[in-house]
Amino acid sequence: MTVWGALAGGFVGTLVLTTALRAANELQLTRIDLPFLLGTAVTADRARAKAIGYLLHFLFGELFALTYYAIFLALDRDGWWLGAIFGFGHGLFAATALVNILLPLVHPRMGSPLTGARTVALLEPPGFLMRNYGRRTPLANIVAHIAYGTLVGGFTSLAG
Amino acid sequence: MNRPPRYFGMAVSAGSVPPGRLDGYAPLRDYAAIGEGRTVALVARDGSIDWLPFPYLDSASVFAAILDSERGGRFQLEPEGRYRVRRRYLPDTNVLETTFFAETGTARVIDAVTLPEGGLEPFTEVQRRVEGLFGRVAFRWSVEPRFGYASEATRFERRLGHPVATAGNDAVALLLFDAGGVEERGGGWSGRFEAGEASSTLLSLVFAHQEPLVFPARGELERRFERTCASWRMWARDRACGGRWREAVMRSALALKLLVFAPSGAIAAAATASLPEDMGGERNWDYRYSWIRDSAFTLDAFLRLGCPAEARAYFWWLMHATQLMAPRLRVLYRLDGGTRAPEEALTLSGYRGSRPVNVGNGAADQLQLDTYGELLQTAALYAERGNRIDRDIGRRLAGFASFVCGEWRQPDAGIWEVRSDPVHFTQSKMMCAIALERAAQLAEKGMIPAGALARWRAEAGAIRRFIDERCWSDVKQSYVRFAGGQELDASLLLAVLYGYDDAKNERLRATLNAVERELRTGPLVRRYTGEDGVAGSEGAFLACSFWLVEALARSHRHEEAAELMAQLVDLANDVGLYSEEIDPESGEFLGNLPQALSHLALISAAMALTERTQ
Repeated sequence: MTVWGALAGGFVGTLVLTTALRAANELQLTRIDLPFLLGTAVTADRARAKAIGYLLHFLFGELFALTYYAIFLALDRDGWWLGAIFGFGHGLFAATALVNILLPLVHPRMGSPLTGARTVALLEPPGFLMRNYGRRTPLANIVAHIAYGTLVGGFTSLAG
Repeated sequence: MNRPPRYFGMAVSAGSVPPGRLDGYAPLRDYAAIGEGRTVALVARDGSIDWLPFPYLDSASVFAAILDSERGGRFQLEPEGRYRVRRRYLPDTNVLETTFFAETGTARVIDAVTLPEGGLEPFTEVQRRVEGLFGRVAFRWSVEPRFGYASEATRFERRLGHPVATAGNDAVALLLFDAGGVEERGGGWSGRFEAGEASSTLLSLVFAHQEPLVFPARGELERRFERTCASWRMWARDRACGGRWREAVMRSALALKLLVFAPSGAIAAAATASLPEDMGGERNWDYRYSWIRDSAFTLDAFLRLGCPAEARAYFWWLMHATQLMAPRLRVLYRLDGGTRAPEEALTLSGYRGSRPVNVGNGAADQLQLDTYGELLQTAALYAERGNRIDRDIGRRLAGFASFVCGEWRQPDAGIWEVRSDPVHFTQSKMMCAIALERAAQLAEKGMIPAGALARWRAEAGAIRRFIDERCWSDVKQSYVRFAGGQELDASLLLAVLYGYDDAKNERLRATLNAVERELRTGPLVRRYTGEDGVAGSEGAFLACSFWLVEALARSHRHEEAAELMAQLVDLANDVGLYSEEIDPESGEFLGNLPQALSHLALISAAMALTERTQ
């Protein structure tokens, strides 16, 4: 178990997570676009938002991988299956709290139940389990995060 | 002979007249188009948006009441009670103004699909602004979004207080400003409001595709609307367009700009699918593709109107799209350059019962030899205006020419895409000769490889002999539709337009006379006589009518050409748009609209006429 393994897993996992959500979008399962959501917190320029959003997404991917690594160390065990369980929890957390509640609070252009829509351009809030972006969004999100967790766990243990 | 048909004179509704519907369908002549370079909406004279594909022009529809008045979906906005209507585009824009004269007052509705600016704005935004001018006018409105040609399950809910409909990875929200309350009912929203003097109401649809919805504030909507008008005016101001036909040419240029698919540079043949060429019949095709057939006219129009950026984008798109299957050409390509266009019948009831409602286009798989001539003519035009043809494209163009050498002896489906058995269409052979001769010209200038130059010249000569020996009729005193036949074809006028031979050539002059004699009714010209493999008949083809104007002008028959041009310009609808065809008896528009080829032919004819009379 090494931190480099976790970082490699974080990179590959984020790559797969992003690709899986993009594919789900193309398959008309969801309207979620995480890089777009993240990037528009920084800029209102669409093209720049997507580019910055991808960078931020990979940065957060690595930060979560380090968090996984810290928990692996605390538990003194790792592996792809443990990563998959973490991924499941991570996905649930993202859909219920992180993107649903925390992101609207810090995102300057996203609506929340507390804001009105008549002053500035507002992004559609994701809603519980991000279902505002499509009923199958929770499924796509959980599957993508399980894949992420599996890869972080797998890479971390392989590097050991 | 050549008397104006009986509807002539009523075609343009100069005054304000009440709109009418038959079985829920507005006349096709009643539609105006608004758009922003990715999709186009059609607005009827009674204020109903009856057609809107989303996210792109060639995507499935959100509103398709024009193809199924019951189930298709629409955005209605009209005064209650009796009223009369007068419409126009705001000068030099694609922003539509409809003035409603009700019994209690006058109000105007301004419709626009705002132009994207790259900021955090909705993917697509339709604005409907209602301004009271005099007295009070009670309006009613309703929105019935029906995603996926009315086939997708749609959820209706609210976000941040706004009504929202979602289906798959698409969503639409309705934003209302000073428009009263919303009544939610199964499958849509509706409401009422009153427009008093100096009142200003705004109803806006904001769409999202593969991303969260964006809800702009009113101030931002207002600013985007103003900038949209300014952008259109700026675009129009920069066009080289003057003379007697300036107004018609400018409207045609603006209509074409709506059909240019901004993400790729391709130009769609029309904004709609399956509007009937034969009312109630089965001649219903999807025209939301880019046809090689239109390429030379498109590039020529762009260059002559002073649109070098559009011309370059179109030429590069054309070269990109044709790359994959070179040296074979497809008849048509998707707007993104793809080649798949499988034809599929939808379950919609069709415009006034015209079924099947087809999307996709089966003609894509046909062999149409004329396309090679169109492509090489386009390349020659592009090079003639000082543009560079790089080595890769030059090699490919030479490949197309050599391919013609081996294929021109094959029968084909011809420019009109007949669905009967392939034959040796005269116009196809003429375009093959033009393909080889344009390739030879380019090779002589060193713009494309000259290795096969001698072969191209020899085969071009052989094609001309074939045409002279097999495609001329002493009985008809005309070139005929296909070798050995006795039928006529208005596309043979293109021989004059594309310079197959000098307009003074005896046989071309005789063919022009024969087309006038047998295919012309009043100002209108039918495509051809004889069979085409599809049941039913069709109206007169507007592009052919404008081709006749240009052929007359090039044959130094200027007065006849100008008179015919004036008659045809009068046949546009109240906002200057044309469909594909017109019924010579009733004056009703037929086929898809607005039709690029009709507007391209208008521009070409007007330019030819202006050049020769000034």
